Amino acid sequence: MGLRAYVARRTIELAISLILFMALMFYVFRLMPGDPTAMLIEETAFTSEMREQLRRMWGLDRPLHEQFVIFMKNLLRGELGISFIYQKPVADLIFGRKMLNTLALLIASHGMALLIGMVLGVWAAWRRGKVLDIASLVWALVLHTIPVFWLGLMFLLIFAVHNKWFPLSGTITPARDYAHVLEYMGDYLWHLALPAATITLIRLGGDFLIMRNTMVSVIREDYVTAAIAKGLPEKIVVWKHAARNAMLPIVTLAGLDMATVVSGAVLTETVFSWDGIGRLLYEAAIYRDYPVLQGLFFVITLVVLLANFFTDLLYAYLDPRVRYD
Amino acid sequence: MEAVSVKRYRRFERVIEFWRAYSRTRLGLIGLGILLFYTLMAIFAPWIAPYDPKARVGGSFEPPSAEHPLGTDEMGRDILSQVIYGTRVSLLVGVLAALLAAAIGSAVGMVSGYFGGLVDDLLMRITDLFLVIPGLPFIIVLSVVLGPSIWNIILVIAIISWPSVARLVRSETLSLKERLFVQASRVSGATDLYIIVHHILPNVLPIVAASMVLTITSAIILEAGLSFLGLGDPTKISWGTMLYFADRQGALLSDNPYYIIAPGIALIGIGLAFVFVSYALDEVVNPRLRERER
Repeated sequence: MGLRAYVARRTIELAISLILFMALMFYVFRLMPGDPTAMLIEETAFTSEMREQLRRMWGLDRPLHEQFVIFMKNLLRGELGISFIYQKPVADLIFGRKMLNTLALLIASHGMALLIGMVLGVWAAWRRGKVLDIASLVWALVLHTIPVFWLGLMFLLIFAVHNKWFPLSGTITPARDYAHVLEYMGDYLWHLALPAATITLIRLGGDFLIMRNTMVSVIREDYVTAAIAKGLPEKIVVWKHAARNAMLPIVTLAGLDMATVVSGAVLTETVFSWDGIGRLLYEAAIYRDYPVLQGLFFVITLVVLLANFFTDLLYAYLDPRVRYD
Repeated sequence: MEAVSVKRYRRFERVIEFWRAYSRTRLGLIGLGILLFYTLMAIFAPWIAPYDPKARVGGSFEPPSAEHPLGTDEMGRDILSQVIYGTRVSLLVGVLAALLAAAIGSAVGMVSGYFGGLVDDLLMRITDLFLVIPGLPFIIVLSVVLGPSIWNIILVIAIISWPSVARLVRSETLSLKERLFVQASRVSGATDLYIIVHHILPNVLPIVAASMVLTITSAIILEAGLSFLGLGDPTKISWGTMLYFADRQGALLSDNPYYIIAPGIALIGIGLAFVFVSYALDEVVNPRLRERER
């Protein structure tokens, strides 16, 4: 199978997954008793005109299969409804400040975890079997079992309550005037430090293990032995010959692991009151803000599906063996 | 009669052999020991816990003392007693959710692998979709729609945990159905159902059981996360709901930080125990790993 055929097959699979996913959502959000507007009546902010509007938008007076088509069209057009709580279109809520805050948090923490995990992994693989290697393996296992929200609470306890080094919550200091944009950025980074450190530390275990195990097998390859035999300095062999080739799995897994990334963001943002997408999902769940819950779930899963899709394509492009399975 | 007792003896012998291999792994024994400790704590909670976990037995947020080794919560309830009782919910949710996930996953995996073709394609597409959907957001949505109860939490966690079991069982089934004893059974006229139940199922059970250990861990951590968000069963004491109330009631700034520290340590302990056991099982069940280099 050539690259083009492979891309075509993956595209069709993506489309099927997307349709299946929307069918699942359609079903789940109609598991609720009555029609989807029935349970909104208790919301004080919810007027009868709004209910009529929703009924028309969701086409609830039509047969079920037509309802599903309308449902799909609305989702794909980005018409995700109006938030009950914020009284704003859901799409505007998601694609704005909150999205930027979440991206800042995730990029900072995952970038750090990837970087540190790679360096430590390479180092541990080169010194495999030594005390420090085994100690770091055990430590990685422990990290794997720490609940991310509990680690966040511990960081707050140590670094925000006992030592008042970092703020307890939020993305910026409320009602503060900034003389300069740099001052604003400094304040933002100061608030970002603890939540980012939490996710970094949790991710570090997995990233470290993957890098270490890939390195351990790469080190046994003939070209590494050859490089050592040539008399090249150890540092050059490790970083230029071995580490470079061991990087592919960790980068791919980072793309395929988007689902866990999102889950971690929901809990961490809730602990630190970080005003992002994850916290929005939490609020929508607590206050039964169904349009937001539905819209956000759709957008998050779509992002994950696309991330998987592009990671697969990238991998197939980089490693032609994939295409011939 | 003779044949039956020989078969039974063989099975017994295999159990002994398994235990010998297992007990050689030190981590496996440590993990099993910790699990035994937790299980006893769950079963005998009413006798071990010094107080009724729901009764006011002291002042608010009392720091640790001789009467309350881990202090009290905002309502003056004993933290140690709550942690002990919390073991019940965590183990119950973890084990039942993993069992349910294993049942669904095995059924889907065996049907998919055995029949192949269109059935396989469709089931695997669905499996892959469930594998990709972000777990926590999905269970948040489901538990909001279904309402908070411990049974719904078990169901919801099982719904997102079965796909990996299905994948595992499918690939095992694919190789099993080409084996001679399955072919022989088919030639002698056994129905598909008979072959699946009598030949495929017994042979996939060991790997399903081994994979369940890790599913239990993730189920326990998921329950804690869900409860921490306030979407758990409010009538049951679990480590997650404890952390939810601790966070909500301002335990961070109170005199008793153990309200937050203790449930987390309990979670990590049980998680580590299962990870150790799974590591040891891997070594025993998966012969390729036995001579694995470190």
